[in-house]
Amino acid sequence: MNIDDLQGLLPLLTLAAGATALMLQIAFARNIKLTSFLAVATLLAATLSIVWAGESAPRFVTPLLRADKLALVFSALFCVAGAVTAILSMDYLNNRGDEPEEYFLLLVLSTLGACVLAYASHLASLLLGLELMSVSLYALIAYPDKTKLPLEAAIKYLVLSGAASATMLFGFALLYATTGTLQFSAMAQQLANIDTGNITLLVASVMIVTGLGFKLSLVPFHMWTPDVYDGAPAPVAGYLASVGKAAVFVVLVRWFIASNLFRFSILIDCIALLAILSMLAGNGLALLQTNIKRMLAYSSVAHMGYLVIILVVGSDLAHRPLAIEAGMYYLIAYTATTIAAFGLLTLLSAGKSQKENIQLHDVSGLFWHQPLYACLMLVALLSLAGIPLTAGFVAKFYLISSAVSDGRWILLGSLAIGSSIGIYYYLRVVFYMTRRVEEHKNIPEAAHGLIEKFMTCTLIASILLLGIVPQSLMEYLRSILQLVN
Amino acid sequence: MSGADTSLWPFVVYFFAVLALVATMLGLSWLLGQHRANAATNVPFESGALSVGSPQIHMAVEFYLIAIFFVIFDLETVFIFAWAVAFFELGWAGFISISIFILLLGVALVYELRSGALDWGIKTRSGAPTSTLTQEAQK
Repeated sequence: MNIDDLQGLLPLLTLAAGATALMLQIAFARNIKLTSFLAVATLLAATLSIVWAGESAPRFVTPLLRADKLALVFSALFCVAGAVTAILSMDYLNNRGDEPEEYFLLLVLSTLGACVLAYASHLASLLLGLELMSVSLYALIAYPDKTKLPLEAAIKYLVLSGAASATMLFGFALLYATTGTLQFSAMAQQLANIDTGNITLLVASVMIVTGLGFKLSLVPFHMWTPDVYDGAPAPVAGYLASVGKAAVFVVLVRWFIASNLFRFSILIDCIALLAILSMLAGNGLALLQTNIKRMLAYSSVAHMGYLVIILVVGSDLAHRPLAIEAGMYYLIAYTATTIAAFGLLTLLSAGKSQKENIQLHDVSGLFWHQPLYACLMLVALLSLAGIPLTAGFVAKFYLISSAVSDGRWILLGSLAIGSSIGIYYYLRVVFYMTRRVEEHKNIPEAAHGLIEKFMTCTLIASILLLGIVPQSLMEYLRSILQLVN
Repeated sequence: MSGADTSLWPFVVYFFAVLALVATMLGLSWLLGQHRANAATNVPFESGALSVGSPQIHMAVEFYLIAIFFVIFDLETVFIFAWAVAFFELGWAGFISISIFILLLGVALVYELRSGALDWGIKTRSGAPTSTLTQEAQK
């Protein structure tokens, strides 16, 4: 390992060093202000270090990790998302509790796990990153609020996610038994010689699809999603929904490209089926929710359904670059939007009232007494629904155009049905927000710091910018993906 | 009929015999026994002594924490052992890597020590105001 290798790993090293420093700081001088400052500084330093790390990319740093532009872009996204989550949750934590310092430590560790996933080029690093991210998340869910609901959510997530990881690990073992390697690119050479109908390979892929489908909460592995999002503290739920999903999806795409898994048509058909089920069931179930967190949970199931379409489209070599590009753009837009939507819930439940389960009627009249926060929610919901001028519209447009170019009409049909159902329940929240409230009884007290206002404006601006001037990001993604393909 | 089937059927018979025996015992005692609903019927029989209080008592689980720490630190020695076996082959790169690893373990241990996870009895965490209970315990 030489100095260039270390340079490529700079974001990971920064995050690890920051986490160690945070741990020592918590041990010797418990101070929530200092801890939160150090955590945000670590995450931002890791983001900045990516500029320098890019100079040595692309290169393999040990067979486990590959430092290329794709890894760096998504590391930057995860670090920024972590920093935004940390800043948004400061006020939330101040009103909740005793000794919340470890929250920030766990957040940095979880971001480290997500970045390892973005770098992964080996099943071992995939598993390590995944476990580092999820184990931190179990603790994050239960940690800040010591009541029953978060604890229930954490235990549920722990047990189910552990079972999914075990299933996936068994799949990896079978894959190793057939191919004799765990490295993505080496696996491609081995798989090329194996018949696509090989029974061990089929069993392995069923197990791995189950495990990763659980992590991405695709139907029928989605049952944990609403309960966990509902119980988790709002900032953690936002982080789990955005970074937790995006990191898994990035590594999945890398694996599919590097090992050329697109060749296995049965696998692709299975994924197409999961996509259709997720789009229809996710949107259908979201209709029935009055709890906003549960609604967003089902909507994230649906969005993951939209997203895995690109794996199906990518099975055609001619359309693969466009499909992957669309997927990456969708991930970035989805992360920004989800952080914004859960950010509003965080701000609403940050106040002294400590209201955790924001129902539809809790946001009624929000436009009249918290116009800025209502605008954040409005932009986030419009983006989730895919209305023009927002990030979600461009992302969905991109996705649909790639699916049309490949002629996947069944998938497109379910996407259209799902999206049109989606518009109803997203706009229902907007409708509630614009209501005039007669009695001012149940208005949850929102956070009102300058930092929160600044973060709100930044999130609104970033979603709108992604939707109005997406060209530069698109071109950048295209240029880096050519290198990956 | 293969040999596997013939060797299996005594087990099946045994299984159903067990079920039949248990069902007979429970069924007969239910049929022949008395059905009374006095105040003392549902009280647990403790050789004549009446039971006091609820069985749902909170007990400190100190052993569990210690066991977890043991598992964690014991497992880490596996990695150090793997390094020690290949000491000369790995050279300085291996030495630096394992030093960082041990350093991180040390930091974790310091954290545990400082946050009071290794204290036996009533927990205090650094920086947290000591409760009245703790102050009494310290007297």
